[in-house]
Amino acid sequence: GSEQAFKLLGILDVQNIPCARESILYGSLGSLVVGLGHFLATSRVRRSFDFGMGGFVLTTLGCWIYCRYNHAKLRIQQRIIQEGMRNKILYESSDFDPERKQNSNRGSN
Amino acid sequence: MAHPLQLGFQDAMSPIMEELLHFHDHTLMIVFMISAMVLYIIMLMMTTKLTYTNTMNAQEVEMIWTILPAIVLITIALPSLRVLYLMDEINNPHLTIKAIGHQWYWTYEYTDYDNLEFDSYMIPTQDLPNGYFRLLEVDHRMMMPMESPIRMLISAEDVLHSWAVPSLGVKTDAVPGRLNQTTFIVTRPGVFYGQCSEICGANHSFMPIVVESLPLQHFENWSTMSS
Repeated sequence: GSEQAFKLLGILDVQNIPCARESILYGSLGSLVVGLGHFLATSRVRRSFDFGMGGFVLTTLGCWIYCRYNHAKLRIQQRIIQEGMRNKILYESSDFDPERKQNSNRGSN
Repeated sequence: MAHPLQLGFQDAMSPIMEELLHFHDHTLMIVFMISAMVLYIIMLMMTTKLTYTNTMNAQEVEMIWTILPAIVLITIALPSLRVLYLMDEINNPHLTIKAIGHQWYWTYEYTDYDNLEFDSYMIPTQDLPNGYFRLLEVDHRMMMPMESPIRMLISAEDVLHSWAVPSLGVKTDAVPGRLNQTTFIVTRPGVFYGQCSEICGANHSFMPIVVESLPLQHFENWSTMSS
């Protein structure tokens, strides 16, 4: 990532933390939609701002949790694939090679 | 290693540190949301025209601001406990290295196969070649094989020290008369810096730790040459 990361409120590095930028952007959009929608429906300014704030928090957190969950699943898959690639090279043509057992089973039939 | 004006963690070089980084991201987002909410409420308080100051019956809002923080705490606690127990998993180390803290240097012992033992002193600034890191470089780095679980046994000879390498997510106190154990795996080759993390006298700031991880072949060559 870049050296001088852009940090929201001084703490949240939206450029380098995975899923952070999308969550904040979707949250802002959600906040705008909910707040504006409430204002158009009721013409109450302060209450619309409250709804907008609530919409921001809920949309950001929801998007964040969903994105991080998928990101974690992806990381686990990446690790399994890496391990598999490493083992394939290591075990090729040896007794531990799972492909070798399959081939010999096919051959025996 | 750390860079100037750094606020966040160093890049993760071990799986545990990666998990810690992810947990930190998760908690930081929650903290950010709470801060945004508090700022918003302060702004509301400063712009309200309401002035009723008598105590009111506020059963509903009391329920909300008790239940909601409890949910937030559970959302933080569950991943935290997961990482905590992950750090304690048994992982069958391939190698045991002992790190002994002295005033003011470290001794590393590799006694699994040969009797390899050496001291690691900081390189003073006047002897530092150009381009090296001030107050961080040592004369003998601790070498280790990459992608192998390593067991570290950490102790001290005189006073309390602490063996810490932030990019590996390791910080273990060196207590005289006690062996503290930590295990880690380094996923990539590289050089990782840390510093003594327990006040131990005049030169506490001047006994750094440098870990260099190598592919196994190179580590074995180094080990054979050194012993």
